[in-house]
Amino acid sequence: MSTTPNDFMAEGEPDQGQAVEQVGSSTTPDSWWQVVWSSKKARVGLVILGLYVLMAVFAPLIAPHDPLDGSFTPLLPPSGEHWLGTNTNGRDIASQLIFGSRISLLVGLFGGALATAIALVVGLVSGYTEGTIVDDVLSFVTNVALVIPALPLIITLVAYSDTRGVWLIVGIIALTSWAGAARGKRAQIITLRNRDFVTSAKFSGEGSARIIFSEIMPNMSSLVVAGFVGAATGAVGAEAGLAVLGLGDTRSVSWGTMLYQADAQGAIQQGLLTWIFAPGLALAILITAMSFINFGVDLLSNPHLRED
Amino acid sequence: MRYFLRKLGFFLGTLWAVVTLNFMIPRLQPGDPAELMVRRLQGKDSQLDTAQVEAMRSMLGAPDGSLWTQYWAYLADLLRGDFGVSYTYYPFSVAEVIGQAIWWTVGLVVVTQIISFVVGIVLGAYAAWRRNSKLDTTITLGSTFLGTLQPFWIALVLLYVFGYTLGWFPTSGGYSASTPGLNMFFIEEVLSHSTLPAVALLIVTPIGWILGMRNTMIMNLGEDYIRLAKAKGLPDRTVALRYAARNALLPSVTGFALALGSVLGGTILVETVFDYPGLGRLMGEAVSNKDYPLLQTLMLLTTTGVLIANLIADLLYGVLDPRARRAEG
Amino acid sequence: MARPNEGTPLLEVRNLEVRYEPKASRSLTAVQDVNFTIAPGEFVGLIGESGSGKTTLATALLRLLEKPGRISNGTIMFDGTDITHLDQDELRAIRWRDLSTVFQSSMNSLNPVVRIEPQFRDAIEQHSDLRGEDVSARVRELFDMVFIDHRFITAFPHELSGGMKQRVNLALALALDPKLVLLDEPTTGLDVVVQHSILQNVRKLQEEKGFAVLFISHDIGTVLDLSDRILVMYSGRIVEDQTAAELLREPLHPYTKGLLGSYGDPRAETVRITYIPGRPPDLSLVSEGCSFAPRCPEKIDRCLTEYPELLPIESGEVACHVAALHRLVGADGIELPERNRRFVGPEFVKTADESAHARERDIVLTVDNVTKVFEKRRGLKVDRTVAVADTSFVLRKGAVTALVGQSGSGKSTLARMITGIDSPTEGRIVFHGPDGDQEVASFRGRALRSYRSHVQMVFQDPYSALNPTKRLGQILERPLVNYHGLKGDARRKRVEELLETVALTPADRFINRYAYELSGGQRQRVVIARALAVLPEVIVADEPISSLDVSIRAEILELLNDLVQDHDVGILYITHDLLSARMLADEVIVLNEGRVVEQGPVLQVIRDPQDPYTRTLLDAVPNPF
Repeated sequence: MSTTPNDFMAEGEPDQGQAVEQVGSSTTPDSWWQVVWSSKKARVGLVILGLYVLMAVFAPLIAPHDPLDGSFTPLLPPSGEHWLGTNTNGRDIASQLIFGSRISLLVGLFGGALATAIALVVGLVSGYTEGTIVDDVLSFVTNVALVIPALPLIITLVAYSDTRGVWLIVGIIALTSWAGAARGKRAQIITLRNRDFVTSAKFSGEGSARIIFSEIMPNMSSLVVAGFVGAATGAVGAEAGLAVLGLGDTRSVSWGTMLYQADAQGAIQQGLLTWIFAPGLALAILITAMSFINFGVDLLSNPHLRED
Repeated sequence: MRYFLRKLGFFLGTLWAVVTLNFMIPRLQPGDPAELMVRRLQGKDSQLDTAQVEAMRSMLGAPDGSLWTQYWAYLADLLRGDFGVSYTYYPFSVAEVIGQAIWWTVGLVVVTQIISFVVGIVLGAYAAWRRNSKLDTTITLGSTFLGTLQPFWIALVLLYVFGYTLGWFPTSGGYSASTPGLNMFFIEEVLSHSTLPAVALLIVTPIGWILGMRNTMIMNLGEDYIRLAKAKGLPDRTVALRYAARNALLPSVTGFALALGSVLGGTILVETVFDYPGLGRLMGEAVSNKDYPLLQTLMLLTTTGVLIANLIADLLYGVLDPRARRAEG
Repeated sequence: MARPNEGTPLLEVRNLEVRYEPKASRSLTAVQDVNFTIAPGEFVGLIGESGSGKTTLATALLRLLEKPGRISNGTIMFDGTDITHLDQDELRAIRWRDLSTVFQSSMNSLNPVVRIEPQFRDAIEQHSDLRGEDVSARVRELFDMVFIDHRFITAFPHELSGGMKQRVNLALALALDPKLVLLDEPTTGLDVVVQHSILQNVRKLQEEKGFAVLFISHDIGTVLDLSDRILVMYSGRIVEDQTAAELLREPLHPYTKGLLGSYGDPRAETVRITYIPGRPPDLSLVSEGCSFAPRCPEKIDRCLTEYPELLPIESGEVACHVAALHRLVGADGIELPERNRRFVGPEFVKTADESAHARERDIVLTVDNVTKVFEKRRGLKVDRTVAVADTSFVLRKGAVTALVGQSGSGKSTLARMITGIDSPTEGRIVFHGPDGDQEVASFRGRALRSYRSHVQMVFQDPYSALNPTKRLGQILERPLVNYHGLKGDARRKRVEELLETVALTPADRFINRYAYELSGGQRQRVVIARALAVLPEVIVADEPISSLDVSIRAEILELLNDLVQDHDVGILYITHDLLSARMLADEVIVLNEGRVVEQGPVLQVIRDPQDPYTRTLLDAVPNPF
C-alpha cells in the first residue's frame, strides 16, 4: 500500500567515497481512511451507513405517504399500499420509518460534530496549557462532566424547555457528551506537545495558534475521527432514549417517537408487531453499522488490534 | 495518601458542582422562575390546583429573595433532607416518594451490574486470550450486535414475547397481589416481576465490559512483561490470569463507576417500559407530569450515587495500582 | 559447520528463515538462511544495525514469535532437542531453567503492578523444588550477584532506576542457573557508565557460572570487548562469523570493516572514522545478489547477481565473494580490489592542528556562573534539585564546544537555558549579537522569537523532530517565512539551496517528500538544514548522532564540521561520547551532576584527563583497536 513511486528510487551505482542519496521505499504509514477501510467490518458499516444516508436524503421519493398524514384507516395490516400497515392514528408506518431516519442521522451528524468540536477545543487548550491554571480549570470541568451521568441530566434539561426542536436535542446531547473525548485529546496533545517537532516549530518562529492548529492538530486526525464516530453513535441512541420518554421533537417523526407512541398506545398488548419492531430494528442496524465503523477506527488508536 | 485526598477533594468539588447546577437549571430562564413555571403549567393544563403551585413555590424558594439568599436556603434544605413536595403524589414529600422507590432500583442495578461485570470481564479476558479463535469472533460479533440494541427496545421485545405471548412473567409493576414484607409470597412476586427488567439490562450491560476488557487485555498482551512471563515458562493460566488479566482489570475498576452513569440511563427506560416501581419510572412520571421538584431531586440523587460509586472506584484503584499513587501523589 | 574442537554445541541453528506475512501489507523475510552454533559456556556476540533482523532472530530462538511472523524454514536444536516445532507445553520444560533472556526494552519487562519478589518466585517455583523461605534466600543471593540492596526485593518496579531494573532482569534471568542466556540489547538507553558496569558484571558472572550467552547489540565496540566469538548480521543474514580477536585483527566482510571503521582512538594525532553510505535494503523486495552490494566499496560484478554463501575462510566464516576469491580460490582472472582490512569507503578525518586557531575567534555567547535549581512542590515540602551549578564557558564563532556528560549531568538543562526555553536561577547567559550584548533570560515574546533567528537547535531524535504530516519543503520554508519574510521563487530557491547544503541532492527530489520516506540519517540532515535556514550564529546540537546507526554517524559529524567551516556558525555539541567530541569539537567541557569537572582544549582533556569522572567516560568509549 506504499504510495512511494518506484521511479523515485535512486538509480545508478554508488561511487566509492561518495554518499549515496536515495529515498527508500519504506512503507508509508497508512492514512487513517486506509486503515479504517482495511477492516472488513468497517467496510460493511460504511456501506450500511451509506444506504441510510440515501434513505434519509431521498425520503420524500421513497416513502409512499406523508408520515404525518393520519387520514388512513387505523390498524391496517401490512399490504402493498401500506408496507408495514398503519398505526392507531391511521398513519403509514413504513413512511414514518423512512422519514424517521432523517432525525436519527441529523442528530448523529450534528450532535456528534458539535460534541467533537467542544471536545477538540477543550482538549487542545487544556493539553497545550498543561500545568497552568487554565488547564486545571478545564480539566476539572472535563472530569466533572465525565462523571455526571448524562441521561438524567439531559432529561432534566429537556424537561424544562418549552420547545423541543431537533436543535435543542442536538445541543443538549452535545453539551453532555463531550467530556470523555476531551480527556483523550488532552492526553494526546500532551504527548504530541513534548515531541521535538513542536519545539522546533518554536525555533522556526511559529506562534502558538499556528503550532496548535497547523503542527499539532493534523497529527490528531485519527483520534478526532474516532471521537466523532463514538459521539455520533451515542447521540443517535440518546435521541431515541429521549423520544421514548416522550421528550422528543413532537413536530417530527423519529424512530424514538414511534416507539414512544407504540408503547403509550399499547401496541404490544394489541400485537402490532411492525410498529414496535421496525423502528427498533432500524435503530439497531444503524447503530450496528456505526459500531462496525468504530471497529475500523479503533485500529487507528490501538495498532495492537490490527492484523487480525 | 495525597492521591486519596485528591480524589476525595475531587468528589466534593464535583458534588458541589452538581448541587449548584441543580439549583441553576430552573433559574436559567429569564424572569421569576416560579411565576413562569406556574404560568406554563396553567397554560398546558388548566386543572392546575393550588397544591401544585405551592409545591412549585416551595421548591424555588421565595421569589423576592436575592439569588444568594435563595441559594443558601436551597443548600440548607438539602442538608435537612427537605427536597420539597411532589405534586404528582401531593401531599407526599419528594423524600417520601423517593424513599419508596429507591430500593427497587438499587436492587435491580446492583444485582445486574455485579453479574454484568463478572460475566463481561471473564468473557472479555477469555476472548482476548484466545484471540481470533471462533469463540472470540462469536463473542466479539455477538457483543457488537447486542450492544447496539437499545435497552428499552429489548424491554419491549421481552415484554411482548415472555409477558404477553408466552405469559411466563408478569407484564408490569413490582408485585401484584401480595403485601410488601418479608413473606415468601411477596419475595416470589418481586422476583418474578424483576426478572424481565433484569434480563433486559443483562443483555446490554455486560457488553461494554466484554469489549473494553478485550481491548485492554490485547493491548497488555503486547507488553514486554507478558512476553517475559511466557519466556519464563509459566503455565498459560498463570500468564493469562496473574499477568495479563490482572493488569487489564485495573482500568475496568474505574470504568465500572463511570459506566454506572450510562446504565442508569438504560434503567430509567427499562423501568418505564415494565412499569417497575423504581426511580426510573418515577422519573418518567415526573417528566410527563412536569413534577419538577421530583425530577430535580431524582437527578441530584442519581448523580450523587454515581459520584459516590466513582469515588469508591478511584480509592480502590489507588489501593490496587501502586503506580497511580505515585503518578499523582 | 561446527568446528571439530567444539564438541556438541548447546545451540545449533540450521537454515533458519523467519517470514512476516501480514494480511494488509507486503510480506518480508526478516531472517534468511541463518546458520550458527553456540558451544556450552561460550560468549557469542551478535552484531546488527536497526532492521538487520537480530531481534527477530532472538525472538525466534526463544520461540516467542507471534503472528504474522513465523519460522518458515530451518531448525533450532537446543541442548540436543529440536525446539523448532515444540508446542508451548513441551517448551515450558526448557524455558528459563535452560534458556532465559533479558529483553531489549526491559524497562517494561517487569509487571508494573506486582512487587519484584513474586516475579522471581513464580519462575523459581515453576522450575525447581524450592519453596517458601528457600526461594526468598535464592532471591537475596541473586540480588547480591548484581549488587542490589535487598530492600528492593519487595519494591515495585517503578521504584527502581533504569539501571537497577536492568540488573534485576539480569538476576531474574540467572535465577535457575540456565545453560544459555539471550541478551537482546540489554543496556540500550542506559548511561554509558552504567552500561559499562552492567556488562562487566555480566561477563564476570558468565565466567563464574559457566553459562553460555548470546549477546545481541548494535554496538560492535561493546560486543568486541565482551565476546569470545562474533556473528555479524546484515539484512537478515549472517555475513561473518569469527572469534573476536580474529575479527579485530582481520575483518573479512566489508560491512564488518565498515562497522569497525566507525570507531577510532580519540587520543590519536589524526583520527579517521569511516561511514557506510546509503541505507539497508528493503526486506520486502526480493533482491538479487549480495544485499550489501549497493553500499559496498569492494563489490565486483558477481556481487550484483549472485548471493555469496557463508563459507569457512581462515578461522571463521564469511559471506563475501571478494573475500572468498582472495583467500580461497584465487582471483581466477577476475579483477579484484586490493586486500584491505579497512573500509575503503568515505571517511571523516580530524587532525590535531585543526582546532588550534579556533580559540582565537570572537565570542558569541557567554555562560557566566550559571546555576539552575528546580523546585518541585510535594504537599508542603519543596524538593530542590540542583541541575546546573556555577557553570561558566563561552561559545565562539566558527568553533565547536562540546558539552560532555551522562544523562542527568545537566547538559540538556544548559541547552534549554541557552536557547531561552528556561532561565537560570543564578548567573547570566549573555548573547553577543548584532544588537550588542543581551541577557538571554530577559527575552520574552517577540524578543525571544528574534533571538531564535540567531540561535537554533538540532535534536537528538530526528524521528520526533520532523512533523510527520508535513513535506520537507513546508518544514524548511517556515523559518524563512517567519524570520526573513521570503516569498515565492526566492523562498523555493533558498529551500533547494538548504537541501543541497546538507547533501540531499538533487533538491527537487526531496522537496515534496515526507519525513517517513527518509532514513534516519537523511532526516537528521533535514533537521540540520532547518537549523541552518536562518543563518544562525549558534547551533545547539543535542546528541545529534546518538539515535543513528553507528555506521552512518560519521556522515553527520562530517556535515556538522562542514557547517562550522563554511558558514562560520558556532556549535554547542552536547554528547555523552568523548570520541565524537574529539571528532567535532575544539573545546570540551565535562559535566558531572551539574558541575563542570574539567574544561579545556579537546585533545588535551582526552589525552591527559585530570578528573576521575573524565577517565570513567573515556573508559566507556568502546575501543576496538
